[in-house]
Amino acid sequence: MNRLRSKSAARQFSLGLVLATCSFLIAIPVSQLAKAQEPLTISGESPLARGEQLLLTGSYAAASDIFQMADGLDRIDGLIGASRAFAMMGNYREAMNVVEAAIEGENYADSPLLSTQLAEVKRTVGLSTEALSILRAVVDGMADPPVRTLVQYGSLLKFTGARQAANQVLDQSVQRYNDGLVFASEDVGMVALASWLLNNFHDANSLFNEATRANPNNLEAHVLWADLFLEKYNASDAERGYQDALDINSRYTPALVGIAKVVGDERALQRALAINPNSIPAMETYGQLLLMNGREEEAEDYFTRVLALNPEALKTLSVLAARAALNERSEEFAEYRAQVEAFSPDNPQFLGDIADTFGNNYLFTQAVDYARAAIAADPQYWQGYTLLGSNLIRLGEEEEGKANLEIGFENDPFNVMTSNMLKVFDTLETYTTQESAHFKVHMSQNDADILWPYLEPLLEEGWDTLTAKYGYEPEVPILIEIFDKTEDFAVRSVGLPDIGPLVGICFGKVITLISPDTLSANWQEIVWHEFMHVITLQMTGNRMPRWLSEGISVWEEREGRPYWGRSQGLDLVRAAKDDKLLPIGELNSGFSGARNNADLGFAYFQSYLVVDYITQTHGFDKLVELVKQYAFIKEESERFSAVFDQSLGEFDTGFRSWIDQRVEEINVYVHTEDMPDEGEGHGHGIRENSSAILAELYNNASLKQHMRSRIEENDRDFQAYLQLGIVLFKEENFEEAKGYLETAHELLPSYTGYPSPALVLAQIYEKESNQQARLQWLEILLEGLQHDYDSAMVLAGAALEDADHERAAYYIDRAIQVDPYRNGVHVLKAQYAESIDDRELAVTEYEVLVKLEINDPVEARTNLAEAYLRNGQLSEARQNVLYALEIAPSFQRAQQVLLRSVDGEAN
Amino acid sequence: MKFYCLKKLCAALGSLLLLSASHAAFGQIAGLQSNNNFFLDSPDSTKYAVIMVGPSVAEENQSMFRQWGFSLHDILARDYGYSSDTITLLYDRGDQDSSSGGRVDGACDRAGIEQALASLASRVKTGDQITLYLIGHGSGAEEESKFNIVGPDITGIEFANLLDQFAEQDIAIINTTSASYGFSASLSGEGRVVISSTRSPSERYDPVFSRFFIEALDSRNSDRDKNNRVSMLEAFEYAKSNVEAWYEEQGRLASEHAGLDDNGDALFALDPNTGAADGRLAEIAYIDTLIDNNAGLSPQALALKARMQDIERSVFILRGRKADFLEANYWQQMEVLLVDLARTTGQFNEQITQ
Repeated sequence: MNRLRSKSAARQFSLGLVLATCSFLIAIPVSQLAKAQEPLTISGESPLARGEQLLLTGSYAAASDIFQMADGLDRIDGLIGASRAFAMMGNYREAMNVVEAAIEGENYADSPLLSTQLAEVKRTVGLSTEALSILRAVVDGMADPPVRTLVQYGSLLKFTGARQAANQVLDQSVQRYNDGLVFASEDVGMVALASWLLNNFHDANSLFNEATRANPNNLEAHVLWADLFLEKYNASDAERGYQDALDINSRYTPALVGIAKVVGDERALQRALAINPNSIPAMETYGQLLLMNGREEEAEDYFTRVLALNPEALKTLSVLAARAALNERSEEFAEYRAQVEAFSPDNPQFLGDIADTFGNNYLFTQAVDYARAAIAADPQYWQGYTLLGSNLIRLGEEEEGKANLEIGFENDPFNVMTSNMLKVFDTLETYTTQESAHFKVHMSQNDADILWPYLEPLLEEGWDTLTAKYGYEPEVPILIEIFDKTEDFAVRSVGLPDIGPLVGICFGKVITLISPDTLSANWQEIVWHEFMHVITLQMTGNRMPRWLSEGISVWEEREGRPYWGRSQGLDLVRAAKDDKLLPIGELNSGFSGARNNADLGFAYFQSYLVVDYITQTHGFDKLVELVKQYAFIKEESERFSAVFDQSLGEFDTGFRSWIDQRVEEINVYVHTEDMPDEGEGHGHGIRENSSAILAELYNNASLKQHMRSRIEENDRDFQAYLQLGIVLFKEENFEEAKGYLETAHELLPSYTGYPSPALVLAQIYEKESNQQARLQWLEILLEGLQHDYDSAMVLAGAALEDADHERAAYYIDRAIQVDPYRNGVHVLKAQYAESIDDRELAVTEYEVLVKLEINDPVEARTNLAEAYLRNGQLSEARQNVLYALEIAPSFQRAQQVLLRSVDGEAN
Repeated sequence: MKFYCLKKLCAALGSLLLLSASHAAFGQIAGLQSNNNFFLDSPDSTKYAVIMVGPSVAEENQSMFRQWGFSLHDILARDYGYSSDTITLLYDRGDQDSSSGGRVDGACDRAGIEQALASLASRVKTGDQITLYLIGHGSGAEEESKFNIVGPDITGIEFANLLDQFAEQDIAIINTTSASYGFSASLSGEGRVVISSTRSPSERYDPVFSRFFIEALDSRNSDRDKNNRVSMLEAFEYAKSNVEAWYEEQGRLASEHAGLDDNGDALFALDPNTGAADGRLAEIAYIDTLIDNNAGLSPQALALKARMQDIERSVFILRGRKADFLEANYWQQMEVLLVDLARTTGQFNEQITQ
């Protein structure tokens, strides 16, 4: 197989430039000659030049007309231009006619470029057999067929399963380049495509670069290059390539489709379809986007239109086949497969796309099977190894997964997803593994030292509680991977370093988490939430819809601890008022179509509300029954009918009426000018009340006046009371502030956004040195807010001072639930352990403190040694105090501990 | 009373000394000491601090610099044996207001600096220690690096020239300004400890190092070896660790990396220690003044104290040779020494309480 000869390629490039210049010089008189024989456009340019200009700027209709005016030496180029312009408008019939009419009989080899264009359009509309015979005729009938013909022929041969023949033909085009016979940008772009099809990605990249440098207006090369990047999951370079093309021609539909693929921009697709209503890639992409958002019927419509235009549309067929397979409609799947086999036997891409779809739907076992089938169909389909590896990892088959990723990487090092995932394995090699009865956890040594003592009991508590509750025991061990870098977490989870606000992902048998060290949220709630996914996913063979799985996980947060879960009363009232609650059948689109964190957070909350509704109205058993329904392929309405004896619509009506009642009970007024609370990490973490924060920053007379008038307008305007209270607090008008804040609290006692009435009231009492009232409000605050470390610490410290050990233990635990990596909480816990004479616990805490201490290792070691001593662990005491004294030999407290440990005095 | 000097030189030069037999080590120490009479820390020497707080346009920075300068003044006076006679605070335009409590000695402008240093030069004697703290903004790079003061800024080279008048004194400089690297490099010299809050010309944002350096001194937070004294190395390590933790907690990439140079090569070590090129002098450069506490001790107590000092020295020597031992062997020997030291300390305490 031919690879680029790098040195000759470099020479070739400069030679190409020289020859291109020469041909330009020669071309001028020819062009002038042509002009003498043909009518000129109004602007005085030749029709060919004008047509090219119009084509380049996206005036396709005008271009198609002008091109056809070209005559003489320009005639063939003009006809090809016209055909391309027609194709850009989706008028494929005319695109074929205009070139076909110029080909005499079926003497394709006599009109190689016209024939190639004809074949390309025929391929676009699914006439691959005809296209293949045209291209074959040209290639067989000429000694040196055009480069474009060779590449299109090779590409089609590959598509139709003749891989060996394809490689030979594609090789010829590369050889032509190596022989110094390819100069024009368009042809260099074609050789780049040939290299890509030959899996020589590095050469392809260089050649696309060369093609676009030689002619920056070569839109085809820009977009193909971007497509190459996109295939390798290099979104930023892909987006840049598409944008480069759009900067030249904002109506270039392949680039608009490309941009939509990168950023999921529906408007780009609408624009593409407005320009070319028959754009098959635009419709395919649109269909997929709609499918992701649960808009199946609209998607179906697009796919039908695609197949009507091109029955060989591989992507559409693979999407439809995957959907049939997902729903276990095996006959339908077999039909699609046979359809593809008819024109593209053993197409690995088709099988790979199905594997990918299964993987994206959390059906990893099936994804693995299809990825294996794809590789069997073509062992050089390197993306297949990436698909296989990544899905094996999600099944916990790490070793085999890694081995396959390595094969993919060795042969396709440009695939960003493959290399990223392998880099995470490098990180994992530095991690340690801890095991409990049902869990196996990979984590950094830091997390193993500090987090594991608290994580292990929580995991096993979660196991005991939730498996008993749902009557289901998942397959064990459940693998948990905790990453201390967000990028590693993201790559391990989705293959790419950007995962948005997610902090934990469950794949059924595997959970990936961001280390709590990088979070400011209640990590225990997150772990509980993710473990609940393990149960619902495994109960249904990973067939749970996202909304219900998330709804149950959020609902179980509150069941796990009364202060966990979400209290978004204000958001609920706002959503009900704005009629933003989604029907049950569309809840998944709340996740996939979320435009921001607030939208995403609300999707979780509404899903939780549905689950809460089910348990309150129909009972918990019905919830379990509903979960079990998802183990089988059924219509959504059938499931609801089977469990609730109601249609989906009736269920929805019941839910809406329950919500209305709930909104009535909340009974607060939401003003349109207030912003919704923004939560971090899809609701895990402090939810910031942006309006109240602004009030905190800009306390002024006009704001006060405005809030007073709002209260006059509506005396249940929670936010107005809160904001007015905050402004008054900042002005140190504490008495008046208290009044408004207390009213705000009474209006919505469950409110836990930041800042909240309870928090500000606690701050006022702190300023007034009224410790008792301060603590009371902090307690109230923590009744519903699980993400506040500082308040928990204040309450724990106060309880310890009062020797109220039970309360102290409770609030220390609350602080650890948010941040186990801070010294303060472990110092308190060690003090607590000493005050209740729990020597073992004291040792644990001092052990953690040694790991956390950065300023005073001597003190930390000495404390630990003392704890060991009290716990009768003389040898450990001696070793630790020696560590301390090594640094500070004259430290007398440590000296005494040493003597006691040596002399065997435990107490 | 040369104990601390000898002890710390032992520790500082441990890896060098311990290539030879321990009994020969003292001869080498003595030799080295005679050649390098830096930071001898004798009780009859005096320690001076010059705190220079530059101006800032931004109100927030101005208030922060002021707080740092004043806090530093108070901590040195409260915890380290300095007095208003030994502290010179040059603050912004030198205005005294009600809240400055008479702390400000002059303006942080060229004339103020020159005058303050000239005045100091007239008072100091050989072996005194002068620590200069620079707080505020810096700018420029390499020779053009400047400390932003009121009026025309002062370059590192100009500042270094002003320090030439202190050839007989020990100099430590803590430069906590932004873009401090080039300025600090100009001040590097044999026998000087120079701490810079940034270690590269590209680090130009306002550093937080100053905050943590002052925190290190406050209540002797950074007294790592529990000897109730804070060395430049201890304070540097404390501040550095806390700066790193601060950036990590903020979830930001660190835009400052503090460095220390005490061997005069103008190369600032990120991780100075007694076994590295930089760190040995900083370990014996104490911020606080040494108090002679031998007065009134009985001959027995003095003998016990001498024995404690001997054992402690042996601990330092052994620690310096750690790499030469098998782990178990090292700890066995260390334990013997430390138990001996602990028992001797107990006897000493009994003696002095009798």
